[in-house]
Amino acid sequence: MSNELVFMMGEFEAKFPLDRQYAKNHMWGQAQPDGTIRFGFTAYAVRLLQDVYFLDWTIDAGVDLTERQEIGAIESKKAESDLFAPIAGQLTQFNEQLLSDPSGINVDKYSDGWLFDIQGDSVGLLSTEQYLEHLVGVWEITQRTIKGQMNQ
Amino acid sequence: MNSRILTIISRGQSENPVKRQLESDLGDALEKIDGSRTLIIPNLYDLPIGGDVVQAIRAWDGPIVVYAWLFERAARWVLDRNGISGHEGEVLLKSEDDDEDEVTNEDDEEEKERVLAARELPKRRIYCVNLRDAQSVEPFAEEFQRIAQVSSEDELHAWIDRDVPLHQMQRFLQPTNDTALNTNAEAANVQVPVLKFDESPGRRWYPVIDFSRCTNCMECIDFCLFGVYGVDTIDTILVEQPDNCRKGCPACSRVCPENAIIFPQHKTPAIAGADVEVGGLKIDLSRLFGAPDEDATKVAARERDEQLVMAGRDAVGLSVGIPKRQADKPVEPKDDLDNLIDGLDDLDL
Repeated sequence: MSNELVFMMGEFEAKFPLDRQYAKNHMWGQAQPDGTIRFGFTAYAVRLLQDVYFLDWTIDAGVDLTERQEIGAIESKKAESDLFAPIAGQLTQFNEQLLSDPSGINVDKYSDGWLFDIQGDSVGLLSTEQYLEHLVGVWEITQRTIKGQMNQ
Repeated sequence: MNSRILTIISRGQSENPVKRQLESDLGDALEKIDGSRTLIIPNLYDLPIGGDVVQAIRAWDGPIVVYAWLFERAARWVLDRNGISGHEGEVLLKSEDDDEDEVTNEDDEEEKERVLAARELPKRRIYCVNLRDAQSVEPFAEEFQRIAQVSSEDELHAWIDRDVPLHQMQRFLQPTNDTALNTNAEAANVQVPVLKFDESPGRRWYPVIDFSRCTNCMECIDFCLFGVYGVDTIDTILVEQPDNCRKGCPACSRVCPENAIIFPQHKTPAIAGADVEVGGLKIDLSRLFGAPDEDATKVAARERDEQLVMAGRDAVGLSVGIPKRQADKPVEPKDDLDNLIDGLDDLDL
């Protein structure tokens, strides 16, 4: 039995492990032994970003966040985005290694390329199946965004 | 004939040594080209109106080539605001990223009356080259040579009354027989030294209006609560008190329906005067990654409130100077685009 689900982004197989939960802003969340939830980018996000060049956090560890609060920014070869908190809670630590070399996100997104830990409630997070349903809904919009930035 | 062109190198605000080197190398390179006359000046945008540098440039009525760390539109309209205007000269040097996916929607453009259409411009052309578009001096120097060529043809056309047979014009430009006047060689003997203005004006921050887009709708004057905008004697909008502008605040450019207001030093290229919104720039995935759904008007109102509070005044939110553009629009059946946009709202991204 497979331990992951696959979503086809065109020709690309985006894989999502079953051992964790997911946020709608394309981050995975996994409970840690210390009670925090560790977050990182999903294969969907990484595929959109491609090679990450620059990662910056605009808040310090230890800060209390509201859900979707702006916390930083990322820049890749092809795209840029502001980053937002996936859940409310206290951000306990960032993955310091990514600040000197953000390519860890591309190399090992589901493990060493994690982003940060938050002490908070996982109740709003989705199961892998639910996240895939969410992707089916947003894939069309994602493609439009990439092709035309919504024709702005 | 190149001596008929004034070349201006506008230095950047940044002390980045790479940029400084490019500026001075370009000055050296241009000095060697035929008798071109070159000025190196502080950042064009920071120059005080009516200052020495501006006066010097205003005294020139021939074609101008401007090299600046500014988008072409920004440079052109900063000059215009300083009373230095002319027709837009076409610059072919573009950054490499620029040419992918360049989408021009000119066909879709509604016919609107632009302020520029009612103005009479001096016959000369002004060519604005963005110094970010190449990394070395050579492409910039080559572009100058090309412009000089185009410019001398222009001049010839204006001089001889149209209808010049092509071969005749070519012979004039590149004489082949020894008895002809060799204008190029003659000019080459005259090297005009680069004139450098070293004054360093303080950094400024103010909007610049692109009158080829502006429709004189007055939304900016209604929106800005710091008295930056005014009107001239024939009721055309102008940036009357540029130094009343609040540093860092680009809010009026966000409410401008024609994208005609430029803040040349803003980090967002579309606000800094980039021609195309997306061309060559990175895709912004923020909406997909959870950015709050805040439209340009709300951002503008928020930015304005921040400035009002900093200036010790009360925030006004959306209550002052926000146009209700759609208010009197008749209800029409939704088209595909409406449906698409409605779909986006429903989508809880």
